[in-house]
Amino acid sequence: MPVDAEKEISRLWRGLHGAQDSTIKTFYQWRKAAIGLVPDANPSEIALKGWEAMAQDMGKLFLPRLSFSKGEEAFLKQVAGLYVNTWQGYGAVVKVEPGTSPMEVFIKWERCPWPAFAKDFNAPLKEDVAGCDLVLQITIDMVNAFMNTNFKIETQKAIPRGEGICLRRLYKP
Amino acid sequence: MGELFKWDYTDYPGYKKYPHLFKPIQIGKLTIPNRIKYAATEDNLNDKDGFITDADVSYMRERAKGVVGGIACMQGVYMDKKRHGQGYVGQAACWDDKYIPGLKRIADAIKEEGAISASQLMHCGRVGAVEVEYCQGPSPVPQRLRIFRPVEVMSKDDIKRCIDEHIEAADRLCQAGFEIIEISGIVGYLISNFISSYTNRRTDEYGGDIRGRMKMVMETIQGVKKVIGDRPLGIRLCSDELLDDVRGNTPEESMITYQMAEEAGADYMSVTAGWQEAIYPVISRDIPQGSWLFLAKRAKEHIKIPVQMAYRLFDPAIPNKAIGDGILDIWEMCRPMIADPHLPKKVLEGREDEIRPCVACNVCLARLFRDAPMTCYINPVCAHDHDPKFHITPAETMKKVMIVGAGAAGLECAWVAAERGHEVHVYDKLREVGGTLLEARKAPYGDEELYYQINFAKVKSDKAGVQFHLETEVTTDLVDEEMPDTVVLAVGPKYIKGIAPGFDRANVVGVLDVLAGKAAVGDNVVVWGNKKPGVGVALFLAKQKKKVTIVGKNKDFAIDINPSFRWRYNAYLRQNGVTVYNDCDIAEITDNGVTVMTYDGYMIPVKADTVVCTERAPNQDLKNAIKELGVEIFEIGDMVIPRNLSSAVHDGYKVGLRI
Repeated sequence: MPVDAEKEISRLWRGLHGAQDSTIKTFYQWRKAAIGLVPDANPSEIALKGWEAMAQDMGKLFLPRLSFSKGEEAFLKQVAGLYVNTWQGYGAVVKVEPGTSPMEVFIKWERCPWPAFAKDFNAPLKEDVAGCDLVLQITIDMVNAFMNTNFKIETQKAIPRGEGICLRRLYKP
Repeated sequence: MGELFKWDYTDYPGYKKYPHLFKPIQIGKLTIPNRIKYAATEDNLNDKDGFITDADVSYMRERAKGVVGGIACMQGVYMDKKRHGQGYVGQAACWDDKYIPGLKRIADAIKEEGAISASQLMHCGRVGAVEVEYCQGPSPVPQRLRIFRPVEVMSKDDIKRCIDEHIEAADRLCQAGFEIIEISGIVGYLISNFISSYTNRRTDEYGGDIRGRMKMVMETIQGVKKVIGDRPLGIRLCSDELLDDVRGNTPEESMITYQMAEEAGADYMSVTAGWQEAIYPVISRDIPQGSWLFLAKRAKEHIKIPVQMAYRLFDPAIPNKAIGDGILDIWEMCRPMIADPHLPKKVLEGREDEIRPCVACNVCLARLFRDAPMTCYINPVCAHDHDPKFHITPAETMKKVMIVGAGAAGLECAWVAAERGHEVHVYDKLREVGGTLLEARKAPYGDEELYYQINFAKVKSDKAGVQFHLETEVTTDLVDEEMPDTVVLAVGPKYIKGIAPGFDRANVVGVLDVLAGKAAVGDNVVVWGNKKPGVGVALFLAKQKKKVTIVGKNKDFAIDINPSFRWRYNAYLRQNGVTVYNDCDIAEITDNGVTVMTYDGYMIPVKADTVVCTERAPNQDLKNAIKELGVEIFEIGDMVIPRNLSSAVHDGYKVGLRI
């Protein structure tokens, strides 16, 4: 039973993208259903509650993976790495780039599937930016509470705003 | 000492062999006849409202018998009506006088067995609140593990109330008759939460530097001391939290906590290591015995009060030497006396070979975290001490019993049946007893300790008069010839091969042959099976620098290993570069490798010189052959359904009682 490696990788690649699409679609399907159930509510407020729940779960996933053993600089990069891994799971092309000081890094999304799905489901793109910002804020707050750090994260560029990339600065003030 | 006590150990063999364990010691104003303590352990045996049950009284009575005049400490009690301090569903409560009669039953049982009764105050802090929505802590630091409740920050009033609750509960424990009071401040419980820089971020007087973080502890010790009279007050504190990855206390800070506790009035220190949230193994069998004694030594260098310690001190020779060397004062035990409640008594009486050995699997503790009553992997009577159905009593009718298989199940059944008066014959085709454990003990990370159960059961069998017929294959003719009243089949599982093409090749070998060193194994190995035998042999081979891949049909890896131990195996597999494909099977084996098929049909080529089969199946061959003889047949152990050592021992014990 010889294995056709190209065929296997191709099937896996398609399967992975299908799963990534389903994850994001499920969020927007849930959003549509929730808005339908509460027609008088502000749709963005509903969506942000969803993002909040996602963020809290994401933060809980982060905590067991955190270690301060190698010091604060390594820890900052570790946190950035967790964000990268998470968004890679969604199918984004994202990486960490060094900042101007040891206690600063930039997380750069060169491509992200979330805005495209927002458009498909007629969700406002500004809600997409707000949702991402909320997730990053809640998770960094959880990390700070857990490890007694005071890291900040701020959005400098955003794909949904037409700026080509998403760029977030993660740093210690 | 100035006081004569009834315990004179000098004529016992254990005293001569381990003199340091059986000499008295002064704790506060109390003289302890020996250096042995059953350390407080939750057992989830009490009722849902914290009232003491018969099961818990019997459990403690047996451990009290075991310490032969030493200290028997009951489990920690929670002290608040709101149950924030409750960390276990069956934890004893002490927040009201209504609990005193039940607690008195425990104190009385301990004293009736000649032991010194101790009790413990235990607010479980950030790992507590099992029955309520929020737990309490000094600061809102989330736990690393999801199973715990969100943390509610304690106000200063909450702290004052909590200290008062400790004091009131201590008073009740004294009324119940306990002679020693202990405060628990370990593994993530409230006291340790206040002490640790990881969990205490307060900026008021109860936080800040280590002295500030100790304020709550100091006030608790001083308050409790005022109400307990001359009774000694002990405290359990971490010598090393093992929380360096989350910025926990330094060892130097921990030693300051020891000195401050002593200054506040603590009469002894119980030294511990690690939190539940720590990422390092501490007490499982992969940690060599005696590894943590350096912490006791460090404590002795910093404080003058007696130092006690448990933590992988199973062999009495280790604490005996440590006490003799002056680095330890009292030998504490939890799990070894869960496995054998009479362990120290057997040591004293020169019956060490009859000690049922704890295998440090932590299933006892794992069950507590999952709201289940205490049990023991290898002691079927544990937590059934109150139930006559679990006790060995003489058989009504003496029978000739043929046990086929001298593995863990067969041996356990043999000694129990023989002690009940049956004529027991054990047969095995091998020259040695031990069955599968002869090979399984070769796996790394402490698995050699699994074989101690075989040594125990063999000694018990010999002393009970069991007759062994080794190197003897049991056939229908032999059964017919011997004419037993009962046959107990304990023949172990069948080791099977898969049905995919290539399983008949010469490079496919069995797990037992590999562990026994009888099979040639190449540099690239695929292990077929992702349960314990697969994990054990994978690590055995990875330690020989081979590239190992596990391919297993079970969706979850190591499903037959308890979760409190499984995470360690995951870590060791990662450290040793072992790749694991769960929910997969082998589709084909060739000279060069294996084609792995995922559950959903993907194919993965894996390079392999050798395939090791570890999958097992029930083994009914002999049963099918002899059932026509009309003899009474019992089946035990892995021949019924392949499981683990625990199931083998429990099966053997229960059938031994039934024959």
